[in-house]
Amino acid sequence: MGYVAIKGGGQAIQGAEEVLEALRTAEGEHGTPLTMQAIENQLRLLTSRIVSEGGLYHPQLAALAIKQSQGDTLEAAFALRAYRSTKPRLLETSAQDTGSMRLIRRISSAFKDIPGGQMLGPTYDYALRLMRLDLANESAETFRAVAREFLAETPEPNLPDTFPKVVEALRAEGLLPPVENHTETPFDITREPLIFPVPRSAALATMARAETGSILALAYSNMRGYGDVHPTVAELRVGYLPVMLPHPITGEPVEVGEVLMTECEVVAMYEDDDSKGAPTFTLGYGACFGHNEVKAIAMAILDRALQKGMRDGPSNPSEDPEFVLLHIDGVDSMGFASHYKMPHYVTFQSDMDRLRTTQKKHESVKQQDVNEGVQ
Amino acid sequence: MSAGYNFGFLDEHAKKEVRRAILKAISIPGYQVPYSSREMPMGRGFGTGGLQLTLSLIGANDTLKVIDQGSDDSVNAVNLRQFIEMTCPGIDTTTHLSEATLIQSRHRIPETPLKPEQVLVLQVPYPDPLVVVEPSEDKRKIMHGEADYARLLVKLYEDIVKFDEITISHRYPTRINDHYVIDPSPIPRWDVPKLDNSPALVLFGAGREKKIYAVPPHTKGEPLAFEDVPFRVESFNDAQGKRRACARCGATDSFLDEFMNEDGSKRYQCSDSDYCDETLQASKMTEAATYA
Amino acid sequence: MNNHLNTTLQPTLPTTLLSIWQADTQQRAFRKIMNAFARPGVIETLESEALLLTLATLLDGATTFADFDGILSEHDMARLEVATATAEQARFVLTHGEAAPAFTPSLGTLESPDMGATILLKIQAIGSGHRLKLTGPGVDGACEVAVNGLHPAWITAHQSWNSAFPLGVDFLLVAEHQVMALPRTTRIEGIK
Repeated sequence: MGYVAIKGGGQAIQGAEEVLEALRTAEGEHGTPLTMQAIENQLRLLTSRIVSEGGLYHPQLAALAIKQSQGDTLEAAFALRAYRSTKPRLLETSAQDTGSMRLIRRISSAFKDIPGGQMLGPTYDYALRLMRLDLANESAETFRAVAREFLAETPEPNLPDTFPKVVEALRAEGLLPPVENHTETPFDITREPLIFPVPRSAALATMARAETGSILALAYSNMRGYGDVHPTVAELRVGYLPVMLPHPITGEPVEVGEVLMTECEVVAMYEDDDSKGAPTFTLGYGACFGHNEVKAIAMAILDRALQKGMRDGPSNPSEDPEFVLLHIDGVDSMGFASHYKMPHYVTFQSDMDRLRTTQKKHESVKQQDVNEGVQ
Repeated sequence: MSAGYNFGFLDEHAKKEVRRAILKAISIPGYQVPYSSREMPMGRGFGTGGLQLTLSLIGANDTLKVIDQGSDDSVNAVNLRQFIEMTCPGIDTTTHLSEATLIQSRHRIPETPLKPEQVLVLQVPYPDPLVVVEPSEDKRKIMHGEADYARLLVKLYEDIVKFDEITISHRYPTRINDHYVIDPSPIPRWDVPKLDNSPALVLFGAGREKKIYAVPPHTKGEPLAFEDVPFRVESFNDAQGKRRACARCGATDSFLDEFMNEDGSKRYQCSDSDYCDETLQASKMTEAATYA
Repeated sequence: MNNHLNTTLQPTLPTTLLSIWQADTQQRAFRKIMNAFARPGVIETLESEALLLTLATLLDGATTFADFDGILSEHDMARLEVATATAEQARFVLTHGEAAPAFTPSLGTLESPDMGATILLKIQAIGSGHRLKLTGPGVDGACEVAVNGLHPAWITAHQSWNSAFPLGVDFLLVAEHQVMALPRTTRIEGIK
C-alpha cells in the first residue's frame, strides 16, 4: 500500500513557474522580447485598461505587468494593484478641474455644434472592422514612415489649450442643476471598507477602477431595460489632465505631471422630484485613467442609475449600490473564481459525510415503508 | 522601477489599521469588524485576509506554521509560506505545531490542542453565515446586532424536515459568547468543538469581503442545533460501525482524508500531516521500547 | 562607517524614547496589547513607558483621538500624527483614572459596535491596590487583579456603558510599563 507523498507542493509551484516562462519564450532562437515601449505604445489601449483597472497611473509599470502576465488583463491589473498597495501615500491632490484637460478627442451627441467644436480624434468608432492584412507582415521601414509622414504633413493645429465643458452650457441655461458645493472629503476606497450605504464618491471611485467587462455588463442591463436611464452623451472627452499639487513651501498649486484620462457626462431625462424648484435634467458621471471610452460611458450610466437607487431604493440590479459595487472589481472576482482551483479536500470530505448520512436515512425510511407495506 | 518592500509587505499604516480591527474583534467576540483590506500579490480567495492578519502580527521573534487542508506542503501553503519568508526576513518557519508561535491555516484547526501562547489565523472566504438567508449586508448587520438568527434557524429546521438531518457539512454556523453567530471558515464540523473554550486566540480574516473577527480564548463557542437533532461531527466509521484508522500512522482520533485506489478501493489517511508524523514517530518509539 | 567601532564606542543613549516610533518595537508591543485584550486580567509589561508606546502602536491619521486631560506634551501629540476629536466622539480617548469620568464616550451602534471607543486609563499601578474579580470571555473561569489609582466610578461606568451588548467601550489600563485590558465583555466586581 502506497502512502500519499507529503512532499511535492513546493516543487510543483517551482515547475509551474518554469513552464510559464518557457511558454513566454517559446519562439526560441528567432524570438525578440517585447519592449516596454512597444507595449505602452503599440498596445496603448491595453495599457490604458491596465492603469485604469489597476488604479495606478504608471503606464511603464502597466506595460511590464502586461508583459509578465502574458497579456492577461485581470492578472496584469492585479499585479499593478498589489504593487500600489505597498506604497505609502505622501501627498494628496485637491479636486482637479477636468476643464483644464489638454484634449485629443471630445464629442457630444447632444448638440451638433458645441462651444469649441467637436473633435473626433483617435477613434475606431467609424472604422470598418476589416482585417488589415497589410499589418501582418509590416516592415520596420513602413512602420517608421507612418508617424514621420503624419507629423510632416499635418499642419500645426490651431487649437486652444483647453475647451469649455458642454455641461456648463446646459447649467447656464438652467437645464441642469447648479454644481453643489461639496465640502466633505471624498471617500477613499483604498483606506476605508465599503459599509453600505456609501456616499456617491465611494461609488465613483469603485467604478473608476472597475473591471471593464463587468461594469459594461451591468450598465448594459440598464440600457436593455433593467433600468431606464436612457442617456444622452453630453460630452465624452479624452486627453491629458494636468495634476496640481500644493507646493511644499508656498502652498501654491504647481503642475507635477499629467495623466491621460477619459471623462464622460451623460444627461438623462428629468424626474419627478418632491424637492423644491423647477425640474431639470439629471447627470451621470464617468471618469477613469487612460483611454477607455466604453468604460467611462458604462460608469456614467451606472452613476445615474445608482443615484436613483440611493434615493428611491433600487428597482433593478443596476440601481442597487451593493449589487453593483461589490461585483465589478476584477481583482476580487477573478481571485475568487480562481480560488476554486485550490484543494478543497477537507470540505469535500465533509460534504460526502453529510450526503452519505442523508442517503442512509433515506434508504432506511424506504426499507421501513416496504416492510410496513408487506405487513 | 525598483520594488523594495517593507518588512511584512504591508506598509505600517495598513498594519495599524488591521491591528486596531483585531482589538475590536477580540473585544466584541464574533463580530465582523470591517477594514479596508489591501491588495496582496496573490488572488482574493487564496488567503489574503489571513495573510494580512499574519503580516500585521508577525515579528522577527516568531516561528510560523502555514497549513492548507491540514498539510504544510499543499501548494497554497507553500506559496503563502514562501511569500511570508521572503517579505519577513529573520522569522523562523516550522511544520511542527509545538514549535509555532503563529499558525495560519485554511480549512483545518490542528488536531493537537493549541497552547495559550499560540495564535491561530484562519483564512475565510465567506465571513457571514446570514448570507444564505439575507443577501443585503446592510440588513444582515442589523440582524447580527440584534442577535436575530430566527431565519437561520428556520433554514436549519427546513433541512431537518426535508432530510431528517442538518445538511450543513462545513462552515457550520457557531454562536460565540451567546450573541454573534459566525461562519467559522470552511473547517469541517470535526474542528468546530475546538473553538469552544479554546486555550488560544483564534483570528479570522476575510480579505475579499474585508472583515476581521475573533474567538478569544476561554470563550463559549456553540454550534447551532436543536435539542432533538444534535450537532454531529463527521463519522469515520466503516459499515460495521468500527472507527477507521489512518493507513499511515494508525491514529483513530483524527480527521481522515479519503483516497481512491486504482482498483476502486478506498484508503484513509490523516488530514493533519504534522499530527500524522507525530503519531507515527510516537508509535515507532513505543515499538523500539518494546523490542529493546 | 565602521560598524564594529560604532557599537563599541557608542555611549548608552536613552534609545527607548526613539525606539517607540520604530516598526519592530510597535510589533512586539502590539502582540502584548493584543494578548492583554484577549485575556482580561493578564498584566503585560511593555519594553518602555506603556502610555506613549501604546499610543504610537495604535494611532495614526486614519483614526481619531482625544487627550481628555491634556496628558501628552505638544511634541508627542504632533509626533502621533492623529486626528483629534472630542472625548464624546473619538475612537481612542486618553484620561486619568484617578478622577471619576467626566464625559460619555461613543458606544458605537448596533450595526457597528466597533465604533465604540477604546479608553486608555492612566493609573498609578497595576498589580497592587484595590482587588477586582473578573469574569467573561478570555478569562478561564474567574481571575483576580489589583489596581491602584482607579476611581470606583470607572467600574460603575464600565458596567453601565456596556449594559447593552454589543454596544460599549473597551478599557485599557496603563501604568508605567504595564497594560491590562477590560474589554466590554468583562464583568468586574470589586472585592472588599
